[in-house]
Amino acid sequence: MNKLYLWGIIITAAMLGFTYLSVGTSKGGLNGDIVNTLAVTGAVVLVIITVFVVIKYVRQMQTDTADGELAEESWDNIGEYKNPVPFGWAVMFLGTMIWGMWYWVLGYPVNAYSQIGEYNEDVATHDAKFNAQYASITGDRLVEMGESVFLAECKVCHGLAADGIDGQAANLNVRIQDKSVKYVVEHGSNNHILGSEMPMPDRNGLFNANTGALISDSEIDEVAKFVSGGFKDEKSAGAKVFAGVCSSCHGMDGRGMEYVAPNIREFTPTLVTNVLNHGKKGAIGTMPAFDRLNAKQKEAVGAYITSLSK
Amino acid sequence: MFHWLEKHPFFFAVGVFAAIAFAGLVEIVPNFAQQSRPVIGTTPYSTLELAGRQVYIKNSCNACHSQLIRPFKSETDRYGHYSLSGEYAYDRPFLWGSKRTGPDLHRVGNYRTTDWHENHMKDPAAIVPGSIMPKYTWLYKNVTDIDTAFAEQLTDAQFFAVPYNKPVPMKDGSTKIVKLGKSVAEANAMALAEAKIVAKDMKDQDIKDAIASGKIPEIVALIAYLNSLK
Repeated sequence: MNKLYLWGIIITAAMLGFTYLSVGTSKGGLNGDIVNTLAVTGAVVLVIITVFVVIKYVRQMQTDTADGELAEESWDNIGEYKNPVPFGWAVMFLGTMIWGMWYWVLGYPVNAYSQIGEYNEDVATHDAKFNAQYASITGDRLVEMGESVFLAECKVCHGLAADGIDGQAANLNVRIQDKSVKYVVEHGSNNHILGSEMPMPDRNGLFNANTGALISDSEIDEVAKFVSGGFKDEKSAGAKVFAGVCSSCHGMDGRGMEYVAPNIREFTPTLVTNVLNHGKKGAIGTMPAFDRLNAKQKEAVGAYITSLSK
Repeated sequence: MFHWLEKHPFFFAVGVFAAIAFAGLVEIVPNFAQQSRPVIGTTPYSTLELAGRQVYIKNSCNACHSQLIRPFKSETDRYGHYSLSGEYAYDRPFLWGSKRTGPDLHRVGNYRTTDWHENHMKDPAAIVPGSIMPKYTWLYKNVTDIDTAFAEQLTDAQFFAVPYNKPVPMKDGSTKIVKLGKSVAEANAMALAEAKIVAKDMKDQDIKDAIASGKIPEIVALIAYLNSLK
């Protein structure tokens, strides 16, 4: 008997023995579980096949002699048999290369999934739905929408009750606060409240037509009280100052003039929209612009804020 | 078929070149696309902003606040345009964050202001009812470490080619130059000048006094950084 076969049998027996030792005596054993049995059967088959395949090739190495046609070229006297790549394999190889070029240049870039594309579609769908449902709402429904936008975007600074949280933002329940009137008269203002630049002069440019002089400190106090009080006491000193100084631009009733001065008596949706578009800077602090609200939402916030001070 | 190539080294070399060149083409060329460059309008951080960024990291703001707006309508409605990779060009490390206990801050400079931050950081719950953010009172007392921020700027400029002192294109077609101090003293002076502009919108008298005496409280640097996030 060939020595090789003998070794094959010894190694097979050793491996099978080792397999039996490791699983045969463990809990469940070889018969307790179909999966164990299958696995061990597989292991046995693998061992036997492996040993016999190895024996086959080792024998071939022992007995084989070289044959085949030598290629013409010789690299440093190292010859090479003519052993061409199988035709089908070569076709697949070249095909893969061509497919790869198509895939990287056209296939992937043109057909790839685009997260941004999906986002754009999503936005278009939402906008269409929004326009269908809300584009033409007015009145109470507009105020309702304004309240929901206010609670999402504005309450962070102006507070749930729109009172400005102890002076940290404007109190929107009144059109304008005392200190804001004073600040604007002192420093002037250019907040794009009309939608475009329209600077209001500071106190050095505010003449009182009644007295023929620049507005004085006491007049500022009086007019601030009158304006922040909502134009109520028409016989007060503040009312006279307002008529003399402010009314030429803001109108006798304080409701402003188009292209000249904003309404300082009450909020209007347009006024609020302009503040949302351009932000605002004044006595209380700086308010950023809220560009990302759409036109209808801005109008709605305007309607809501207008409704607060009524 | 391939045996022929083995016998003709020149054509074999041409084939190898073609294969590697194509791989290079698809790997390298996309990096030159505009989408792979810093987004137009993204500028390097100034000394004060970078110091504020270090304060942000030091206080682990990124543990609760992300800086990454995903392309979903619900997010862009709330925070603004979704984030682009080129906007993080000068963030080292980026502060994307992985959990939002608080809101995203990637564009907080667009919708919060200096005075809001000043009030908010003192007592968040007083400004935002129900907020669980703790008070960051020490930011109003600690003095900002400008020297370290300047060191980071120098490293960025020298080793990462961050364009300090070079014109950076802006969205409106103009260019902007973010200056880098020539010395520690100059960097400190520049940071102080910038801090004065921020502090002008603040109300806390202690902050104003500190700035007047040449010290920059951490809150000022942090606000400068937050305002730069747009």
